Amino acid sequence: MTDLTTTTENSKPVKGRSLWADGLRRLRKRKFAMVCFFIVLVYFILAGLIYLNEAFEWKISLFDWRQSVGPSYQKPWLDYEWTPEGQDVPEKGWTFFGTDFLGQSTFRKMVYGAKTSITVALCASFISLLIGVPLGAIAGYYRGWVDDVIVWFYTTLSTIPYILLVMAFAVVLRERTIFGLEIKGITAVYLAIGLTSWVGICRLIRGEIIKRKESEYVLAARAIGCSSGRIIFIHLLPNVFHVIIINFSLRFVSFIHAEVILSFLGLGEADKPSWGAMIDAARTELARNVWWEMAAATVAIFFISLALNIFGDALRDCLDPKLRTD
Amino acid sequence: MTQTNDNLLSIKNLSTHFYTEQGLVKAVQDVSFDIPKGKTLAVVGESGCGKSVTALSVMRLIPWPPGKIVDGEILFDGESLREVSEDRMRQIRGNDIAMIFQEPMTSLNPVFTVGNQIIEVVKLHQKKSGHEALGIAVDMMRKVGIADPERRVGEYPHQMSGGMRQRVMIAMALCCGPELLIADEPTTALDVTIQAQILELLRTLQRQEGMSIMMITHDLGVVAENADEVVVMYASRVVEKASAEELFDKPLHPYTRGLLKSLPKLGERKERLDVIGGSVPNPLHFPDGCKFHPRCPLGCNDSRCRSQEPPLKQVAAGRSVACWHAEGYDDKSE
Repeated sequence: MTDLTTTTENSKPVKGRSLWADGLRRLRKRKFAMVCFFIVLVYFILAGLIYLNEAFEWKISLFDWRQSVGPSYQKPWLDYEWTPEGQDVPEKGWTFFGTDFLGQSTFRKMVYGAKTSITVALCASFISLLIGVPLGAIAGYYRGWVDDVIVWFYTTLSTIPYILLVMAFAVVLRERTIFGLEIKGITAVYLAIGLTSWVGICRLIRGEIIKRKESEYVLAARAIGCSSGRIIFIHLLPNVFHVIIINFSLRFVSFIHAEVILSFLGLGEADKPSWGAMIDAARTELARNVWWEMAAATVAIFFISLALNIFGDALRDCLDPKLRTD
Repeated sequence: MTQTNDNLLSIKNLSTHFYTEQGLVKAVQDVSFDIPKGKTLAVVGESGCGKSVTALSVMRLIPWPPGKIVDGEILFDGESLREVSEDRMRQIRGNDIAMIFQEPMTSLNPVFTVGNQIIEVVKLHQKKSGHEALGIAVDMMRKVGIADPERRVGEYPHQMSGGMRQRVMIAMALCCGPELLIADEPTTALDVTIQAQILELLRTLQRQEGMSIMMITHDLGVVAENADEVVVMYASRVVEKASAEELFDKPLHPYTRGLLKSLPKLGERKERLDVIGGSVPNPLHFPDGCKFHPRCPLGCNDSRCRSQEPPLKQVAAGRSVACWHAEGYDDKSE
């Protein structure tokens, strides 16, 4: 009895372990997934630093892709001598990934491409989540004619080939002013991708909500006087949040690829480097045996895709209650 | 029971139907009963006889489609629940009428702490700050017998046992001081010792708060322990109404008699318990006449049993039954 009373006196509200905390703890035990997480983190940090560099004019030379660092098409990993424009004395130089036609460092362009890709993928993800999640939740919860309309809408949208749709949006959106907002370059790219890619998440959330809306805790929530909106957004959505997170991490890769494809097709950002633009440039360069620009872009895409995929799968294993093994 | 005005809830001729793909399911037909203030009414019957649908009809939680209340009146404290707006109904749910469910394992939301779930009810119905609501939650948890509530308020449902979760459900239901508690098989999913504790808890809380309870159960033991009044339902109709004592003393309907006979008795050695022959009729194809007649032990020589459904009639003070052969059932006056 004394034990009981003392614990009562000393006890403070202790945070219980949520399903979330549990999942993240499991995730931390997976070494390889954590390595992948750090690779992804490096890309994000680079993108963030590039933004800060531009905002505060830190003038970090790594991010200064405009500057010529060597002669045109200098091979990578070799020492060279060159005379910069407006100078008489030749300088010694070395680059990791060679230079392009203008003598700009391929490596710096590759690093800068992370900013473009991450920005596009992040913004496109948020746009598609913002459209897909509420629509899916509402369709799944209310069913009836609301569901019919939403399902009809997204099935129609998904019958159009994806690339064609993104291209159409990109072409329509660029160089336009909508609601006083000038849409150009990168904005058009992520708007086009975001507005066309919410169908998958919408379908997924709709299914999850249909599955859960008959559960007893939803009935219990209605029995304590919750409104439908409250049940959908406060009671049901947190229960499918792991689905959103997992989908987000896996979808991210496809958005990076979509950006690459759009840039490759000439619909991306024109005046700043991106991986897609680098591959586009490499089309003509490959004929002259200039392989490094292609290689640099490919390596950058390869690592973030691989890391995100592995991390996303690990996330799914840890957060999805049905796939739990331990 | 005398006809006075101290009924908290009175249900008159309630009918709820489900329009399914297989056809019309008359889940509740012509059900009438009253719950007096401060008393416990038990609704007894087999699975699928319409007990839960009756309760959900009172809460207006019948999912449409496919279900719909098609007829009848539900008066709660003088207010007709079939006519009030959905907004008013939301205020009533949780505040004036609360409900607890059969499965404590699944009726709590797994992603929120139990404290947050109690706080939500308080905040939905009362203007309280977060801190005050937390205080109420802790008090309520102590009241329902959860040890060390300051600590457990931060726990998630999966960290608690079934009995604890049912206590949390009761705390959630009672934190706004409802006048009527609907308990839909509150002890079915719990083991026997916990059942006794939960029933005892409900009795104590009822004494303290003076609320009425509508207890839905198929367990006659629960009825004997907690109920003042009993409504026996069979195949979506009320077949017998009586006070608990009278019902156990002298059941009038052959179905009630069968139910009581199927209980094990102390001091009696038997290989098998008595059963009611046959099975519950399919709600899509109820038999004509008295719905119990194919299983009725009285034999049903009477063609009236097969063709005419006996209406529920008062046979004595506070006693009603629906059987042509019941004692005192006057078949001449309609």
